[in-house]
Amino acid sequence: MAVITAPAPAGHKAPASPAGGRRSRKLRDNLTGHTFLIGAVLCFALFMWYPMIRGLVMSFQRTRRGETTWVGWDNYIRIIDDPSFWIAWKNTFYFTALALVLGFAVPFFVAILLNEFRHAKGYLRILVYLPVMLPPASALFLFKFYAYDPSEAGLFNAILTALNLPTSEWMQSPTMTMPAMVLASTWMNMGSAVLIYLAALQNIPGELYEAAELDGAGIWKRIWNVTIPQTRLILALLAMLQIVATMQLFIEPLILANGAGTQDSATSVAYLIYQHGFFQNDLNGAAALGMIMLVVLAAFSAVYVRLSTKED
Amino acid sequence: MSVPQYRKVAALALVAGLGFSLTACSTKSDDGGDTAGGKVTISVDCQPVAAQKELLANWNADVAEFQKQNPDITIKSVSVGEQCNNPPDFTARLAGGTMTDVFYGYMTDLQQVLDSGKAMDITEYANKDTIPTWDSVDPALKEVFTDGGKLYAVPVKNYSMGLVYNKTLFTKAGLDVNNPPKTWPEVRAAAKKIAALGNGIAGYSEYSAGNTGGWHFTSLIYSQGGRVLSEDGKKAAFNDAAGKQVLQNLKDMRYGDNSMGSRQLLQWADLLTNAGAGKVGMFIGAPDSTQAIVSQFQGKYEDWAMAPLPGQTGPAKGTLGGGEGYFFKAGLSPDQVKAGLKWIAYQKLTVGKGQLDYARAKPQNYPVGLPQPLLFTNGSEAQKQELELRTKNANVDTANFKIFEENPVPIQGEPRNAQAIYAVLDSAMSGVLTNPNANIDALLKTAEEKVNQLLAAGS
Amino acid sequence: MAQDSGTRTLVSQSQLRRGRGRAIYWTLLAVVVVGFTLVFLGPLYWMVTGALKSGQEIAQTPPSLFPKDPQVQNYVDAWNNLKLAKLLFNTFYYAAGAVLFQLVFDTAAAYSLSKLRPVLGNVILGLMLATLMIPAMVLIVPQYVTVIDLPILHINLLDSPFSIWLPLVANAFNIFLLKRFFDSIPEDLMAAAFVDGATPLRTLWSIILPMSRPILGVVAIFSVTAVWKDFLWPKLVMPSPETRTVSVGIYAFAGGTPMNVVIAASVIAAIPTVIIFLIFQRNIMSGLTAGSLKG
Repeated sequence: MAVITAPAPAGHKAPASPAGGRRSRKLRDNLTGHTFLIGAVLCFALFMWYPMIRGLVMSFQRTRRGETTWVGWDNYIRIIDDPSFWIAWKNTFYFTALALVLGFAVPFFVAILLNEFRHAKGYLRILVYLPVMLPPASALFLFKFYAYDPSEAGLFNAILTALNLPTSEWMQSPTMTMPAMVLASTWMNMGSAVLIYLAALQNIPGELYEAAELDGAGIWKRIWNVTIPQTRLILALLAMLQIVATMQLFIEPLILANGAGTQDSATSVAYLIYQHGFFQNDLNGAAALGMIMLVVLAAFSAVYVRLSTKED
Repeated sequence: MSVPQYRKVAALALVAGLGFSLTACSTKSDDGGDTAGGKVTISVDCQPVAAQKELLANWNADVAEFQKQNPDITIKSVSVGEQCNNPPDFTARLAGGTMTDVFYGYMTDLQQVLDSGKAMDITEYANKDTIPTWDSVDPALKEVFTDGGKLYAVPVKNYSMGLVYNKTLFTKAGLDVNNPPKTWPEVRAAAKKIAALGNGIAGYSEYSAGNTGGWHFTSLIYSQGGRVLSEDGKKAAFNDAAGKQVLQNLKDMRYGDNSMGSRQLLQWADLLTNAGAGKVGMFIGAPDSTQAIVSQFQGKYEDWAMAPLPGQTGPAKGTLGGGEGYFFKAGLSPDQVKAGLKWIAYQKLTVGKGQLDYARAKPQNYPVGLPQPLLFTNGSEAQKQELELRTKNANVDTANFKIFEENPVPIQGEPRNAQAIYAVLDSAMSGVLTNPNANIDALLKTAEEKVNQLLAAGS
Repeated sequence: MAQDSGTRTLVSQSQLRRGRGRAIYWTLLAVVVVGFTLVFLGPLYWMVTGALKSGQEIAQTPPSLFPKDPQVQNYVDAWNNLKLAKLLFNTFYYAAGAVLFQLVFDTAAAYSLSKLRPVLGNVILGLMLATLMIPAMVLIVPQYVTVIDLPILHINLLDSPFSIWLPLVANAFNIFLLKRFFDSIPEDLMAAAFVDGATPLRTLWSIILPMSRPILGVVAIFSVTAVWKDFLWPKLVMPSPETRTVSVGIYAFAGGTPMNVVIAASVIAAIPTVIIFLIFQRNIMSGLTAGSLKG
């Protein structure tokens, strides 16, 4: 209807002359097309494409006392030889895997649950989305100061004590560091995933459930045979996005674990990039580490795309 | 809102937004220091933050007074946060070239500043004309900021670490306030008694995160007579008896006696927050850590006293010293450099002015009488005046620092590449403080490998 | 509130109305409502009241449920010492600018790629989509170096809002969403407009955009969230206290501020967004859900 109400242009322009004008018109159309593109293309060029090349170049250089020299693979060798390198990868993969279990499955089941309720729907949705509204640093300080306090003054430990369960040292325990970070991270981020799943669930035709029920399928079977296949696309997309996001784990270790955590149990690859670039004044090493991360993620994406297209 | 109206608003917003941002951009570009018409403008960082009300008022008063005395000079103060030099921010500013004309740095920052290629050689400018007290400034401090015979910064503060202890908790635990522990075994015994007070009080508290663990490890190993790096600075040297003793002492207190509290992974503010809340019996620190406890973390001066750093069997064999100075950004005009030096001379190095205006500081909630900033050579004119003025206006009991002052421990500087090494040593510290079964030999060996690796690749 | 539609979900309506199903339904609902309130609202309660406690009270065992002696001063200190008004203004200013730049540039680009299809358009689209899989962290160092000294122009964008706005325009996901949406708009409409002699700009303005409000809303929400949630990038490119965002500002001050004041600052910082969210929650929720699927 907007089309109908839109005011027609005042003076109709003469259509391009049928003869000879064809090429120039095509040229003009292309020109218009590119004019519309130019803003975005410039931004991509400056902040994406150029930095990619720059990063690659930087990773083979070293800048000292304002002078830049080519150093071959030196930066890569230095980065890989750093004992923290493998620890950081191990931690990052561990976090990604844990986050996939918790941060991916939990929102999905929460969405399925919420979708069944006929009451208090709006309230529950707002609740789940509330933490997303907090500045991430705030949410993490909340966990750091109150929830994960290792003494019995901490919220979690007070609850555990009240329930007669053994308390934990949370961020001070190398084995709890990662689960604790995943927990905080899931709490503060799961809201958006829940909303997206809810929307996907609402699009599932009711007849499918009906049919499944007639076939005698129980609740779990219906989830398995109807819900999951029907939301497969969005699940796959979100899983992909989440993995890429969790591989960049940074602010959680920085705030919750004061950086590296106890005995390097929180060091992540992203934190290592930061540490090299901005603590150790080694931007070239940080660039090399960034390139390594790029290769790993590219390989992962390739495998992922290959796998998910094969299923089709 | 009808469609066309909504569009109009959007278009307006677009124009307004662009205009706004353009003006924001243009105001940014004209803040460079010009020397138009004989007037000089310089920007200086490390202005106190709003939370430090009186310090900020003092600073602003100093700027006003200085500009009155030097009508040709305009000082632009920039505050960079509570901690004037937070390593990652400092590096970012350095890489980005966004530091002020005259910028604050630690003694250990010299290499990094030189690497950035953005510091200025000020050798020919720093003299008695620009800084009247220059000849009284301790040559050792000037040396720290010198590389290849060229001076790059003016020292404005100097400190060394000792044992800071809470007198109130000492009394409660039945310890003698005037006879603080002199050796690490004595520290351990005292910590045990203080921790026995319960209520979440730690007898002795120590850092293990955010590079501060490594920083304190350095001081602790100096007290044992050890070193962090070999003489030539090319190898790690802390994996020896001294290093092991440092970690063993901590392990014994943390898990043997359970006298270090359950909260670990502390960094700078965490420990001082606990100290301000009266939960820390002893820690090692510089005299001004008591200032931070009071001004930022709600503690009280009456509680705190300071002793020299303990050693294993007698007095400490060494202690960590450090300090701060102001660098000059490359590309300043000679007039700007002179103006900057004059400002530093006025605010930092003139007895009775700026940071040494003890009469003004006396009624304020900041300590006068701490054995700091130790800028002038012993016996020099400036040193005598400074000491006299400081003693006259002391608002903290100087007796609290008497033992510390009267028993000086040899001062050693921070290792080369300090921040990277501290990051590695953090993990040894956190290991021994959070893992009851920590293997000290393994922790040190891993750290040694890491540091050697870092040194081999880094230089 | 109840019965938003008759659509059948996992469990059938009738089953829920009958005896046992009904009991299970209500029990489950009660458990979930109480549980979610505790899990999602509880920490926020802890935050608001914790910030009212004194340093001593926070450290006490077991923790107290209500502050015994509320220290409102913590909130006052947080507001003044952290200059929260400035931090919040900065954050909203950056967010507003980000929305504007993304809407203008990304919409124009997606429109061009979808409807005008200039030569090499597909190559450009391919190059843009190729960046979809490149996480921000990978390029953080070269991007930072670029912002310090833009190639050719040699401008330093540190502390300038453009260092947040312009990189956000380079968002392949937005372009992808918008292009897919535009693709679904029938060509006939475009053709009709062109026959009428409308310029491409006019067509975009009066035909495409009015139809695209939902997707534009989604892009706007995404860009606000991106600014609000981002941490490391603003930390690096906004090094001065006057230009910091809320998240970075709170982090920067946490290093030298008692923790109850830090928490008080966190509470204050969260208030405006929570209010905005509560006011616009219907639009945000429907926008998010509709847009992410249709797009």
